[in-house]
Order: sequence, then C-alpha cells, then structure tokens
Amino acid sequence: MDVLSGLMQGFAVALQPVNLLWCFLGVILGTVVGIMPGLAPSGTIAMLLPLTFAMNPAAAMIMLAGIYYGAKYGGSTTAILLNVPGESASVVTCLDGHQMARNGRAGPALGIAAIASFIAGTVGVLGLMLVAPPLARMALAFSSPEYFALMSLGLAMVVLLAGRSLVKALLAMLVGLWLSGIGTDLFSTTSRFVFGQLELLSGIDFVVVAIGVFAIGEVLACMEVRGQGQLLPVPRGLRNLLPTRRDLKDSRFAFANGSVIGFLIGVLPGAGSTIASFISYGVEKAVSRRREEFGRGVVEGVAAPEAANNSETGGALVPLLTLGIPGSTTTAILLAALVLWGFKPGPLFISDNPALFWGLVASMYIGNVMLLVLNLPLVPLFAQVLRAPGYVLYPLVFGVSMVGVYSVSGSLFDLGLLAAFGLLGYLMRKLDYPAAPLILGLVLGGGMERALRQSLMMSDGSLSILATRPISAVMLSLALLILLIPLFNKVNSWRLRALEQNGGVP
Amino acid sequence: MKQPVKKVLFATVFAVVGLGLCAPSVLAQGYKPTRPVELVVHTGPGGGSDVLARAIAAMMEKENLLPVRLQVLNKPGGGGAVAAAYMAEKKGDQNTIGLFTGVWLTNPLTSDKAKVTLKDLTPVARLVLEPALIAVKADAPYKSLGDFIAAAKQKPGELKQSGGSITSRDNVVRQLLQQETGARWTFISFPGGGERIAALLGGHVNLMVIEPAEAGEHIRGGNMRVLAQVSDTRLPGFPNVPTLKEAGFDVPVVPQVRGVVAPPDIPRQNVAYWEDVFGKLTKTQSWRKFLADNQFEDGYQNAAQLSKFYEEFTNKMRDILKDAGIKTVG
Repeated sequence: MDVLSGLMQGFAVALQPVNLLWCFLGVILGTVVGIMPGLAPSGTIAMLLPLTFAMNPAAAMIMLAGIYYGAKYGGSTTAILLNVPGESASVVTCLDGHQMARNGRAGPALGIAAIASFIAGTVGVLGLMLVAPPLARMALAFSSPEYFALMSLGLAMVVLLAGRSLVKALLAMLVGLWLSGIGTDLFSTTSRFVFGQLELLSGIDFVVVAIGVFAIGEVLACMEVRGQGQLLPVPRGLRNLLPTRRDLKDSRFAFANGSVIGFLIGVLPGAGSTIASFISYGVEKAVSRRREEFGRGVVEGVAAPEAANNSETGGALVPLLTLGIPGSTTTAILLAALVLWGFKPGPLFISDNPALFWGLVASMYIGNVMLLVLNLPLVPLFAQVLRAPGYVLYPLVFGVSMVGVYSVSGSLFDLGLLAAFGLLGYLMRKLDYPAAPLILGLVLGGGMERALRQSLMMSDGSLSILATRPISAVMLSLALLILLIPLFNKVNSWRLRALEQNGGVP
Repeated sequence: MKQPVKKVLFATVFAVVGLGLCAPSVLAQGYKPTRPVELVVHTGPGGGSDVLARAIAAMMEKENLLPVRLQVLNKPGGGGAVAAAYMAEKKGDQNTIGLFTGVWLTNPLTSDKAKVTLKDLTPVARLVLEPALIAVKADAPYKSLGDFIAAAKQKPGELKQSGGSITSRDNVVRQLLQQETGARWTFISFPGGGERIAALLGGHVNLMVIEPAEAGEHIRGGNMRVLAQVSDTRLPGFPNVPTLKEAGFDVPVVPQVRGVVAPPDIPRQNVAYWEDVFGKLTKTQSWRKFLADNQFEDGYQNAAQLSKFYEEFTNKMRDILKDAGIKTVG
C-alpha cells in the first residue's frame, strides 16, 4: 500500500503539465544525444546543469533523468543502420542489428530495439520502485573479488561471440585486453604503453576503437566491391518496416532476460551497461535453439542487449537514490546535481524527499511511453537512410564517425587513432577475426585488472579470496563452464561421427 | 532553490545597471574577457573538480560577476597531468583558466610524465580547503582512532583502508599516521568515490578518509561512525568529533586544496582581473552557502600568497612522500 500511495503522489507530481513538458523535453533531447555518436548523456547533463538552478528540482530531475534513459533508446539507431555504435552499450546491438539491416530488415530491427527498450525501461522502473532499498544493501556484498568474477564471466562470453575459429576470437580478445592497459595505472600512477604521448595518458577511449573497428572497418571492406546505386535492400510498404508478430514471439525470452540481467547489473555500482548488454546477449545465445544464426541477423540478438541496456538505467538509480553512491559518470553528475540543488543524497534521501523520488519514478513510466510513441514512427523514416547509394552512404558513415570521435575528446590525436583502428578493423575482417571479442576485452580489461589487484590487496596476495567468497566462486565456476562448452560440443561431434561409423550401434 | 522568473528578471536588470556603473573600474584594469572563457578541470564530468567548476560557473552567472560565460572543459587523465599540460600549451591565451587541486601539486613529485607544475603556470587564487573525516562502518568495533590503531598494531597489514590513488590525500594521511604510531594497514585504491564508500559499507574495508558532506548523510542514516577529523579545529557540523591532535595523534594536517590558475605568460593585469573576480565571488552569499552546504573551509588567497603556499606545500609533501617510501622525482 505504501508503494501505491507513493506512486499516486508521484503521478500527481509528474502529471503536472509543466513537469510533463520537462519530461518530454528530456526524452527528446536524450533521443537526439543517443542518436549522435560521441555525444554522451553525461556530458549533456553536465552542460545543462547550470541552467537547472532556476528550475524546480523535481522538474529538473525529471528532465535530466529523461536525457539519461532517452539516450539509451537512441543509441541503437546508428548501430543498426550504419554499424556505428552511438554509445558504448550499443556495440552488441551492432552484431545482429546491422546484419538485419543488410538483410533488408532494418525496420524490424529498429522497431524491436524500441519495443525492447520500452519493456525493459519499464521493468527497470518497476524494480527501482519495488525493491530498491533491500537490493542496494545486497549490492554492497559485491566487492572487488565479485567484480572480478563478474567480469570473468563477461569475458567468457567470448566463446559465444566467436565466429568459426575460437583461437582467432581469443587472440582478438587478448589484443583488446592489452589496449585496456594503455594509460596511467591507478595504483602506482605510472604510465604504461604511452610511448611519450601525453594524449595516451588517459588511455584509449573505447568509443574510438569501437567506431573504428566496426564502422570504418566495415566501410573499407564494402568499398572493395564496386557497386552502383542502392547498397542495402529496403522493402517498400509500412508493413515490412515494422517487426512482425513472429519477431515479437522470437524476442519474448530476450525481453525478459535482458530486462532482469540489465537491472541486476545496473544495481552494482562497479559494472555498467556495456557489461549488461554483453552478458544478456551471451545468455540469449546460450539458451537459443538457433544459436548458429546469431551474428547473421536474428531479432533476439537485438532485443536482448537493447533490453539490458535500458533496464540498467533503473538499476543504476538504485544505489544513487538509496545510498548516495553513483556507479557511473552519468549517475555521478546526477548526484552532483542533487547536492547543488541543496539535497543531501544518502540513505535517508527517499524518506526525506518522497515527492521528488516518487515524482521521478512516475515520470519514468510516462517518459518510457513517450519514447515508444516518439521512436516507433521514426523507424520507417530512419530506414529510408539505407536507400542512399554507396557514394552517399559511405561518406556519411565516415563523417558521422569522425564527428562522433572528435566530439568525445576534441583532440585530433583521437582522429588519427580512429584511422588506425579503422585499418585494423578492415584487416581483421579480411583475415576473418571477429571484432566483438576485441571490444569485449577492451571494455572489461581495465575494471578486471583493477578488481583483481584490489582483491589481492585485500587478501594479502592470496588468490584463494576468489574461490572462498561464495558469490565470486559461483560466477567463476559459471565462467569456467562456458569456456568448456566448445569442448563438450567437440567431444559430442566425435561421438556422433563414431556412432555413424559404427552403423548407428552404440 | 526555487527561482521565480520575476526574481531572475530583476536580478538581470540590476546586474545590467550595476555592470554599467562599475564598468569604468573594470576598464581601468585594462582587461575584460570578451568571449566565453574556458575553465579547465582534470576530472571527467561528475568528478570533484568538475562539480566545483560547474557550481562556480553557475554562481558567476547568478551573481553577474563576469561579462561572459564560463565553459567547463574536461581534460581528464594522468592524475591532472593532461590538464596541466593543456594549460601550459595555452601559453598567453587570455580566454582560458583552470581549476587546480592538490594532485596538480603532488603529481609532478611522483610522476616523471607530469612535467608541468603550478610554477610553470600562472597562479591566480586559492579558493577552498577541504577538511576530511576518518570514518568506519557503524557496527565496527573501533570507538576511537586509538582503538583502530591498536587493532592495526595487533594484526599488521590485515586492516584495510579504501581511497583514491597513492598520491591522494587519503594515502598521505595514512602514511603520516603509520609513521607516528608504527601501526601498519593496507591501502586499496578505488577510482570512484562511490566505490570507496560501497567498499566500507559492505564491510570489505575497515576505514576511509571521507569528505564531511559525503559522510554526513551516512552518519545520520546510521551506516557510519566518525573517529576523528583531519582539520586544525573542529568543524561546525561535527562538534563532538576530536581533531587528529585532540585524538592524540600529532601529525600535520594535510588539506585538500582547490584554486584557480591561468596559462603561462599572461599579462599582469589579467591576473589582477581574475583575482578581483574570484575575490568578489568568495564574498557572495551563494559562495558562503555553497561552502556551508559542502562543509568546505574558505581558503581564499591571492596570487602572491598562493605562490608562497605552493612552495611550502610542495616541500612538505615531498618530505612526506619520501618518508612514506614513495619514489619522488624532481
């Protein structure tokens, strides 16, 4: 009943016309930020912060949160259409999303992404509303050893992301892990692999590598084929531009899996939406009956990561609002905003400011509906982009990529890196190395190294800390199991072959 | 925090009139920014310096102290080295200023990659000193800092403290206490402030050095207990918590310091202009409230005083780091 009356109070706040307007502005702005690669919600919110001082804090919070979850909706657009990940969590969406576009199914891919975002976004808010305080306390049980185990589990997904050759996938992953080591070491403040370049002191931005390897690499490879006119098929008729009943049915489990995994990982202050989307993609593939079709454009390969990415937002707000602990850059800025407005975020924040909390929760339900209504009609429109002939589309991808990378850091050095990683992506494609494991290694490497070293400091150098803590032990065993799957498959195929040779007699 | 439109309008009208009146004095100084000024910080959005910078930008606007906008520019990396190097590159640029913190001073002492010191840039003003608290989890057995030290002596290296990088104030305080008492405990670096608190509340570490504003709510919520304050006098928000000296530990108080620098080679009159603007800022009502909300101490010093402070601080820190066995350069 507490929840119900709180929610009623929240809707009373969120449904005020002014707040509806701010919510609408927030989600529109968020969508735009999400679509533009390189523009991150964190930077946008930080930029708008001084403007919010003249606003009512509830309205300001509703708008800023709208930017935060709105950006997650938009991120899939360029990933699907141009193979340019709009934000870090959209890398996984590229895998099947862009393949769907190449198969002439860009519309359904965009549509499923919007629907998955809506369902998962709503599930995330539900979780935030119902289980926030107890869950936040549980999340505190997670420390460095558990984070290391979680990231190992994520890294084990490489088995599922591998193409024909597991060895090549593992090699690509190692390169990614190495790239993550470039920059300043947190523990000793010494620099590693910077070759005297000041720009490398802060490490290589993940966006540069992802856009280079995915987008530029792909364009370079495509340019080899001299073609005329339209490159990718775009079917006519609205019916073909929206997901079919069958697509929705195929994605049912992906919606649920992504929503739950995304929310749970979001609650952990040290994980992040990229890990959430990788893991839910891996889980989806592991349980799928058409595992071998993943990576060639299956609809659930878009639904799972997009769902995870969106419910992560609700999860990430849990430690922020119940403990005053931010888990990501964006939540750190939201925390700063709360402090600057004169609030005291911490364990008593919700009970001190029920109107603000419930108003935010209610506005997120409303905002998610707004986003769905806003995004679905845009799908057929966006799909038309692919009608453009190669001589228009390729420069467009180059342009979007370069603007995206430059807007992250404003440094020309990063544009040079982009070119280098574009070439790397092209070579990897030619030599049949999968790109996703490289990105996975890069995303997880830094956090994984840190977590391992922190764990070893906690245990005074003994690795047993990873096995004796139950949560970490379970996750590490799971990771090991995933790594062993290909072996089982191999044994199984030997057995089957043996069976055949014996004429079917066991 | 509500700011009715009417009030804003009034403020603007007043400000415009006010600016008109004081224009001659500004002109007399000969320099006035004519286009938006970049305020360089060494953290990403949401970091301590970034938040302070954005608060300053907002207050400048609210109090109409600047004819142009302040734009925050994030140059993270290398523990401040990237931002400092960027400032050095902007030699003579009249539309760039930066916000420095203690790590801009300590980093060049330990990293040979961080070549730019405050001396190579133009000091403008010191703004705040941030005191700190030493906190444990509420259900920890330590009732005083003495209890903790005694426990650490019994089990050398087994107790843990969460904090930032090894050149951060957190670790310096630990080093000083270890030297003073002979106790030994482990320091674990976490990049984000949130992770440090989570590690303490989850019981994975035993102690942390925390900012008063951050700790306040966790104490009120019954999650944390404060053992001592890293400050010369007791903070108004914590009248019952002893300072380090009162708790029986005679170690130097290391302040976290934040202030403003300009690029090298800018005209003397520009420094005077910025000194004046920030001096005015620190006298405003908004600034007072900001300091009180965050429990910061007013640490205003002008350019000359700041240069002197820099010398003393650097020498003191070099000794502390050396004594702590951290390799220093330069």
